[in-house]
Amino acid sequence: MIRVAAVGDVHMDQDVVGRFRPALERLPEQADVLLLAGDLTRHGTESEARCVAAEFGGLGVPVVAVLGNHDHHCDQVPQVVKVLTDAGIAVLEGDSTVVDTPGGTLGIAGAKGFGGGFAGRCASEFGEPEMKAFVRTTSVTAEQLGAALRDLDCDTRVALTHYAPVPDTLAGEPPEIYPFLGSYLLGQAIDSAPTALAVHGHAHAGTERGTTPGGVRVRNVAHPVIKQAYSVFHLG
Amino acid sequence: MIDEYTEAAIQRLLTEHGGLAEQGIKVIRRERVLVLCGEVESRQRRDEILRLVHENFPDVPLSVDIGVTRASAPTEAEELP
Repeated sequence: MIRVAAVGDVHMDQDVVGRFRPALERLPEQADVLLLAGDLTRHGTESEARCVAAEFGGLGVPVVAVLGNHDHHCDQVPQVVKVLTDAGIAVLEGDSTVVDTPGGTLGIAGAKGFGGGFAGRCASEFGEPEMKAFVRTTSVTAEQLGAALRDLDCDTRVALTHYAPVPDTLAGEPPEIYPFLGSYLLGQAIDSAPTALAVHGHAHAGTERGTTPGGVRVRNVAHPVIKQAYSVFHLG
Repeated sequence: MIDEYTEAAIQRLLTEHGGLAEQGIKVIRRERVLVLCGEVESRQRRDEILRLVHENFPDVPLSVDIGVTRASAPTEAEELP
């Protein structure tokens, strides 16, 4: 069995430092790895990233993250990634990492993902350059996520995104904003490999559980959804 | 009377104001008040939302139902065989 802890949308800044730490001190007893599903900061500044590093660094288990839309807001992504990486937090974007656990090797492929919507109600790469760029952004990141998943050599695969791969876990959000919350292309990428679990964040008013069309279990681990410091999943 | 344009302006203020950056707060127009509903990561953020919405829309009657998300350790794991 592999034990995976996950949370997203912690939106760290000075006012939040220390809130998660008491729970995190117990995390190594409960999990072999911690996944952070994006929106680690409020505005994506280097100083906010230092708050993330202080809160989620040095836990005693590997920590693997993707960034979210908030983490891009101030155009300081390279600085944010460096602060997190220096704190021992792996940041994935269209790539993967493998973690050794007592239950076997866990492969994690990650990407922020992007929007576009879901089958029957999705945006198409057509029309204005802005519209084509929007949809192309999602298709490129989905292709990278799928390739990263398929290329993994491990016992168990997990997909980590910020945006949602299925509409199931958005239930509770206004349907009008689903195209800004995720894309079926991410689900299609996840279904292209034998993935054990997909975790995402972003949808604060969504719900925890869903499945891809291919049957992969999906969990929305946005902090306001799970209402605890992190959730733990036992795989296998 | 609270109109749709005010509702939209407050929704955008919550996200776009540098001191807030909150996308998870629902803005609901009721008969007599505007309800702000959702969860944030600290009491300071809830207080700042209230302060800035009052400051920018002093004539809008508000009902605030914003909680601070709990951050305790989980007591159970989900088994996914």
